[in-house]
Amino acid sequence: MTTTEYALRTDGLGKRYRRTWALEDCSLAVPTGRVTALVGPNGAGKSTLLRLIVGLLAPTTGTVEVLGESPATNTPQVLSRVGFLAQDHPLYKHFTVADLLRYGRSCNVRFDQGLAERRLARLDIPLDRKAGALSGGQQSQVALALALAKRPDLLVLDEPMAALDPVARLEFLQALMGAVAADGITVVFSSHVVPELERVCDHLVVLDHSRVALAGDIDALLDEHRLLVGPRTTADLDRAGTVVEATHSDRHTTLLVRDGGGVTAPGWQADPIGLEELVLAYLRRPARQEPAHPEVSA
Amino acid sequence: MTWVIWRQHRAEVLALGLLVAAIGAFLLAVGLSMRSLFPDGAAHCAGVLTDACSTAIRRLNDEHGYASKMLSLFNLVPFLIGAFLGAPLVARELETGTWQFAWTQAVPRMRWLAVKLAALGTVSAALAVALSSSITWFRQPLDVLDGRFSADAFDLEGLVPAGYALFAFAAATAAGTLLRRSLPAFAVALGAFAALRVFVAGWLRPNFQAPRTITEPVAATDVDLDPGGPRGMTADRLDWTLVSGYADSSGRHLSVVEAVQMDSAARRAGMELSAYMHERGVQKWVQYHPADRFWAFQLMETAIFAGLAAALLGVVVWRIKRRVH
Repeated sequence: MTTTEYALRTDGLGKRYRRTWALEDCSLAVPTGRVTALVGPNGAGKSTLLRLIVGLLAPTTGTVEVLGESPATNTPQVLSRVGFLAQDHPLYKHFTVADLLRYGRSCNVRFDQGLAERRLARLDIPLDRKAGALSGGQQSQVALALALAKRPDLLVLDEPMAALDPVARLEFLQALMGAVAADGITVVFSSHVVPELERVCDHLVVLDHSRVALAGDIDALLDEHRLLVGPRTTADLDRAGTVVEATHSDRHTTLLVRDGGGVTAPGWQADPIGLEELVLAYLRRPARQEPAHPEVSA
Repeated sequence: MTWVIWRQHRAEVLALGLLVAAIGAFLLAVGLSMRSLFPDGAAHCAGVLTDACSTAIRRLNDEHGYASKMLSLFNLVPFLIGAFLGAPLVARELETGTWQFAWTQAVPRMRWLAVKLAALGTVSAALAVALSSSITWFRQPLDVLDGRFSADAFDLEGLVPAGYALFAFAAATAAGTLLRRSLPAFAVALGAFAALRVFVAGWLRPNFQAPRTITEPVAATDVDLDPGGPRGMTADRLDWTLVSGYADSSGRHLSVVEAVQMDSAARRAGMELSAYMHERGVQKWVQYHPADRFWAFQLMETAIFAGLAAALLGVVVWRIKRRVH
């Protein structure tokens, strides 16, 4: 096989800062061509995972493989195939937009200057303006244009829309999706806002407390999960499948189950679940009990 | 990559280049007027007391006496050169978050660092050499008259300013990498620079090589004898005298107080100090470095600063390799 089936694979990936683990035991496989949303609350380890993917960090444990190579090796080959847009889209504020493009051109072999210029021209972003004088939305568009001009096979974006107003968010998403659709790039982006993801993503990774809470293709995940609603009960509920979450009102019990065989008991009704509800249900689960974890610093 | 470095650091490079050029132009102007005092060259007047030379040297002291103070101010310039280029090198990327942009382009991080350190380190050293060249030229009349070992000569001439600038560059870069802020890095580098300069100039430099010692009996006819310590004992007036004094006939060094007491005793006895000392077998001695050790000392001091600079840059490489956040 000449093409890599998975654009991104991690196995037992972990990163520790001094004594705290920012990411633990993370095993993922993102097929080539997917647009993946990485969701989780602040501090869940999203930025750490993304930095491990682009090679800005080296893992403490486990492995990352991006397009078949290890990003921590920092070779020009893997660096040139991965585009990265860091949180708050940091740019050299005293550089003009043209300077930034020249920066990209001089540090990348396959930098597509024309592509970036056309993209910026469409957005009416003047090339002779200093980056610091642009609006936040324009800065994020410049950063995106720089990342896309690398002609990456994998594009990684860390909270790309967090600082943008709703109009700029929409424009950014349109620009991103236009590029992805045109080139079939694999995209991983993190966000803590779920609703805007549903239209653009087909793969989901939920991170919570430094661990993967849920991962998979969104359609499959929605298929596998059902909301079961029935009369209030606190009896053994596992027969209906793996219970992700159980909530009880005065008269009813609602179960979110995975891999359930459907309604088994009379009086119960099975409903499909929306993406946002699904993510929130996983994020509401209590932090996994720490098992007797062999402490590193004995 | 070259263009990126130029674009990022051109403001500092241009400002420092202007500073060095302005100092050079100023020294050229005053240096020419200094030289006009010695139509036959200052070397002609070294140790020679013709009328013309006496007049020239008096005018030199009157009209150019400020040179020494002015030159000691320039001691800061090698630091400014190195620290202005080094402090922001890594720290500014960390402060503004742009490290994430810089290190995800197709230039690997270690290569990015190597090219930046090499380019800006070379610029630091080159600017410092330009500074020291203009100061060396300016001081040439003073050097041939007074020697090159005084603090306003040795520290600003030859190679050592390049070593100082490299050390300042490396210290500021390392502090910026560890502190992640340019301004505190600049301050820390200044402290390290000043401490090391004082330590090396005050304690190490006199001992780069074993000083030579001359001991000889005080002659009865030595009428210019100074109770504070004998002068001009070495063969070459450009030698670096570390310390001089008197010793009794057994070789025990006399304190200055003892020498002054002898001077009063001689006066009470109505004698010249030299005759008084001569009668008692007092000897005069001097510890000094010969003038021709100048370049050996320059090389040793440059090696110390450049060596420490290399060690600090090693810390930067190690830190960025392991990095980050």
